[in-house]
Amino acid sequence: MSLPILEGRVAWVFAEDDYDIDLIIGVRNIKITDLNELAKLAMCDETPDFAATVRKGDLLVGGRNFGYGHPHYPAMRAMRHLGIAGVVAESFSPGFFRGEISMGFPLITCPGICAAVARGDTLRVDIAQAQVSVLRSGQQLAMQPLSATELGTLEAGGLIPYLKRRLGTPAQTLTSERAP
Amino acid sequence: MAQTMTEKILARVSGRESVKPGDEILARPDFVIAYDFPGYTDVFFREMREDFGVEKVPSPERFVLFIDHMVPAAAPKEEVLHKMTRDWGKAQGVPVYEREGIGHQVSAERGYATPGAFAVHFDGHVSQLGAFGTYAFGARKGVIEPFVSQTMALTVPATVKVELLGTLQPGVMARDVFHHMVRVMGPSSCAFKVVELCGPVIDAMSIEGRQTICGQAMFLGATTMLIAPDAKTLDYVRDRVKIVLDPVYPDADAVYEQVVRIDVSTLAPIVVVPPSPANTRDLVDHVGTEVHTGYLGSCASGRLEDLRIAAEVLRGRHIAPGFQLHVVPTSQAIMAQAAREGLITTLVEAGAFISSPSCDYCFGKIATMSDGQRAVSTGTLNTPGRMGSVDSEIYICNAAVVAASALEGCIADPRPYLAEATRNQGAAK
Repeated sequence: MSLPILEGRVAWVFAEDDYDIDLIIGVRNIKITDLNELAKLAMCDETPDFAATVRKGDLLVGGRNFGYGHPHYPAMRAMRHLGIAGVVAESFSPGFFRGEISMGFPLITCPGICAAVARGDTLRVDIAQAQVSVLRSGQQLAMQPLSATELGTLEAGGLIPYLKRRLGTPAQTLTSERAP
Repeated sequence: MAQTMTEKILARVSGRESVKPGDEILARPDFVIAYDFPGYTDVFFREMREDFGVEKVPSPERFVLFIDHMVPAAAPKEEVLHKMTRDWGKAQGVPVYEREGIGHQVSAERGYATPGAFAVHFDGHVSQLGAFGTYAFGARKGVIEPFVSQTMALTVPATVKVELLGTLQPGVMARDVFHHMVRVMGPSSCAFKVVELCGPVIDAMSIEGRQTICGQAMFLGATTMLIAPDAKTLDYVRDRVKIVLDPVYPDADAVYEQVVRIDVSTLAPIVVVPPSPANTRDLVDHVGTEVHTGYLGSCASGRLEDLRIAAEVLRGRHIAPGFQLHVVPTSQAIMAQAAREGLITTLVEAGAFISSPSCDYCFGKIATMSDGQRAVSTGTLNTPGRMGSVDSEIYICNAAVVAASALEGCIADPRPYLAEATRNQGAAK
């Protein structure tokens, strides 16, 4: 099994560094669990029609240390519900990175991405080749490779299916899961 | 092979001789820690059973749960969640500590902060166990992994060594030191790395101050932060530790990705201005800004030294009319000691509203601000909406600044009050 290539328009560029993703839906809304309601609130403090502009497969672009703060899950749940397929950022905050990869959501660390794109550009992300292409300019950028566990988690569609697969084989369980 | 503290701990828990940054390992946590929260523990309990067919967690003695959020419950569904947690703990043989304080502090008091141990939680502020030489990090929902298997997969992080030099001026606290580190090093300077903190400032610092600094590691981008155990640490943990391990120290020739030296001798109190913990500023530039409410508490601050310094500022005075000062000791043990020292009396007489320990003030679940209000806070975060309305603002600062600001109704410098308190003490002797 391998990872599909992501190709999508840039639905939004979060150019600022240290962006707190709770602001995507507004901190006041982070306890909402209904996905339709959450999706409607996405970017509500920036632009009221954001949801209507997103197409399935679109991507988000972020600056350095994207996901700084306390990265609660509702913001990206809302984005996924709208069809957002991943985030390409200069760099990520580790807690956010770990949390969203475990949801099976591709986060692509790609230094130089902010200067290379504008909202509406189409990006092509080849995780296997660790390469990001900006189709308009033809520019190619290197992405930071993912670890084996991160790749496995994305391939499986999230940590739960990944763990089921990893823990599922009794032989593997015996060798790799034995307590040291 | 020379190793950092992190490398030694992760080598032990992955059954290897040594590890190096970038190695992908399966590590067995010594402790799996969580507080009950909707979407986390209730989901872990369900996933364990339904997705993995695991009825009992492997080695329940490694697990511990805290009930510290939604305390006291303000809606029936919150109490339902707490009851589920108690029932689960009982069925699994996993201890549930309830209303003893904020779990990250109670973890230390109850001996889960074992030097040399590896602990995981879903919440990143568990990094404060690093004050005791424990490698503790927040794996978010990834903490399901040790609920269903013995181990968890992780990549060994590189270590940044931070040496704090000099001595702290009066009125400057651990809180200021941490936010100064963010200012000097940058909020993503340690992304995906571990900080090993040392130097004469740390040697002289209380255990409480070390907890304050280590607990905020995430705001440097760090996975966690550790301090090598010293006599103070070993004294604290001696009669508490849950498991006996050899304390871990870095090798003299350990390889660090970077060594940062920061002299804090001239550091003055800071404020962290909204909307992000990345925004450290000098307090003096914000003195006079009107504030309406103050929060002294949280897993970051709210310990005895915070309560003592607030009492020093507030003793014999009264907070500004209409100002709301919420003081929330981090644990019951701290609250009881504060009572024995007379600090509670001093704070109450000054007009503070004192609460038993709870996480709920930190995220605006209670003491909620309305539009246009502004807080001084020792809480963890200053994102708009964190403590109420998105149109309210949070200025993070040390406990003495909260107390002085409560007196003046605007952001205030505590140092004149502290100097006066010192003079009075001198006169009384």
